[in-house]
Amino acid sequence: MLDIKTHKDKVLTMENGYMNRWLKVNLTSMELSDFTFSEEVLRKFIGGKGIAVHFLWKYAKKLEEKGINLKEFDSLSPDNILIFATGPVTATKSPNSGRHHVMALKSPLTGSIGSGNTGGRWGAKLKFAGYDGIVVAGKAEEPVYLTIFDGKAELHNASKIWGKNSIDTTKWLREQYGKSRAGVSCIGAAGENLVPVAVIMNEEHRAVGRTGLGAVMGSKNLKAIMVEGDQKPNIAKPEEFDAKVKEHVEKLKENGVTGEGLPTYGTAVLVNIINQNGLFPTKNWQTGVHEEAEKISGETLTDDYLISKHPCWGCVVACGRKSKVESGPYKMSYTEGPEYEAIWALGGSTAINDMGAVIRANHYCDIYGMDPITVGSTIAAAMELKEKGKITEEDLQGIELDFGNSDAVVELAWMTAFRQGLGYWIGEGSKKMCDYFGAPELSMAVKGLEMPAYDPRGAKGIGLNYATANRGGCHVTGYTIAAEILGDVDRFTTDGKAELTKIFQDFTSLVNSTVNCLFLTFALGLDEYAEMIGPVTGWDVDSDELLTIGERITNLERMIINKLGFTGKDDTLPKRLLEEKMPEGPSVGQTVNLEAMKQEFYELRGWIDGKPTIEKIRELGLEE
Amino acid sequence: MKVYVKVFASLRKKYPEVNDLKPLVLDIEEGTTFEELILKLEFSLDEIKIILQNGIKVSPEHTIEEEDTISLFPAIGGG
Repeated sequence: MLDIKTHKDKVLTMENGYMNRWLKVNLTSMELSDFTFSEEVLRKFIGGKGIAVHFLWKYAKKLEEKGINLKEFDSLSPDNILIFATGPVTATKSPNSGRHHVMALKSPLTGSIGSGNTGGRWGAKLKFAGYDGIVVAGKAEEPVYLTIFDGKAELHNASKIWGKNSIDTTKWLREQYGKSRAGVSCIGAAGENLVPVAVIMNEEHRAVGRTGLGAVMGSKNLKAIMVEGDQKPNIAKPEEFDAKVKEHVEKLKENGVTGEGLPTYGTAVLVNIINQNGLFPTKNWQTGVHEEAEKISGETLTDDYLISKHPCWGCVVACGRKSKVESGPYKMSYTEGPEYEAIWALGGSTAINDMGAVIRANHYCDIYGMDPITVGSTIAAAMELKEKGKITEEDLQGIELDFGNSDAVVELAWMTAFRQGLGYWIGEGSKKMCDYFGAPELSMAVKGLEMPAYDPRGAKGIGLNYATANRGGCHVTGYTIAAEILGDVDRFTTDGKAELTKIFQDFTSLVNSTVNCLFLTFALGLDEYAEMIGPVTGWDVDSDELLTIGERITNLERMIINKLGFTGKDDTLPKRLLEEKMPEGPSVGQTVNLEAMKQEFYELRGWIDGKPTIEKIRELGLEE
Repeated sequence: MKVYVKVFASLRKKYPEVNDLKPLVLDIEEGTTFEELILKLEFSLDEIKIILQNGIKVSPEHTIEEEDTISLFPAIGGG
């Protein structure tokens, strides 16, 4: 039987915007304790991702002082830490502020920093429970879960829910405590089985989707964190804040993207436009054109599979989808999604045209807790390995692993969660899988993280962003697609892309520290962020200060990945994108001339060989 | 001259049968601009945010060529 300890309820001074209270959970000793950050630190890093990066930097230095080599350090050891963080705007009336950010010092998938942001309601509920964030350290002897109800945190034996999927875990916990609206973050089978593509789920279908943070949670024997309460953050200037909230909501309603496109079609609306531009990566990025993308598009999802919208907490956009498959082998009465990226990875990269199969595979990713981008992309890489004769029939155990085979995608999705057959290698991610099968060039990943759904041969800025994003091949680190495809910036030129990428990355670091939804930025800019953060905290902030804060966070995160062993040589793209011309479609003949953009980017950033210079470190106030 | 027109997202409310696999095949006069085509299709210029000519973004004043594939989008986004 576990020694369950309850920490003493202790109320600290509540600062504006913040609950001014963080929980540290040491699972090795089963001790719970509170701590806070100073106002000086909060103003420098805001919250969410920023404050987590600040904590991780200090922690990385402590590990080094203990003689631990961070390059060799095992991401699944008790020494890795997991941070759940909200920001000052989270859980306020400001639109779309139910989100939270999660980070780990090291990702089990990539070896770089672990980082992910998620919707749902858990972020808001954590603040209602009385906390801004949680740091989880150590490893429990047996599976446990954590509850925080109105300022009181407790650890419990999780033997009754270990093995349950994300939906059943959430249901069991809510029923057990009679709290039907509580926030529940949990892992599924993939996290329990320490599969490096595992995610942390919340609200049953919302995921901290990338870099394998579910496996870190599993390595700590932590099954779930349930949060609920009635506490609220104080607002420094409530009247001014309310007026700005009203203005921001109006701007979001009037904007074509946030007021109509996303609410009507969800993120899947991108399938057709990205395919029409010829940069929808298909057959493991062998082409940018999917002949039957229409069949897995947002319009098709809306017409034939949609039940209704499902907004996150406090959301005025409602891009979330409740969906069903009415007939056929993948029939199911209820699930959620799929999002654009999941459709692309599970359906586009694998070249299938059956939306039912995509929905079923995505459902497996949700209930067993896996990243559909990495799962789908790695299945597509396996399909190309087979096409090139690198995977044998013996490896496949009867699975017909050909591009376009829906059954293979669905089958491999669940096999991945349980490390069955070839599913073992899908779970390791494309880099390790392609290395193992002797064709490393077929892994379409950067820093070990599979790139998402935009081929940079058709939009050069996103290529620079993939190459330089700290967590690896990621679009939401600096979503230049908003300018290059959805806006008016020339998508093929490399001119100006360094500056574009830098601004997108730094603004995004700020958004993920605020913490609210990145989709707000389709309608709201830095000035509006100053109008949120200022009245909430009482600080006199402007857009320049906020962009500098974003830059500070991006740089400190970069300093951490430098410690983990990543340098300029890792800021690159798969050879296919640098050397193989796009074979067909509107982006035909294009490659990515990365080097020129990268050097300009480093100069703008004040980096040499992918590392911030001492001058840049001083300028941003990051020197120790 | 013959052109192929595809409409997407909310533009399909007016043309529910038109999609990527079933484009509208139109016979238009040589020298027609995208602006003129948009109005002929009974869209307002405001609601068309992105025009692609064979997958390449163009402005409404641009002239349509024979056998062009034209993709029209309202304001959309995601990620």
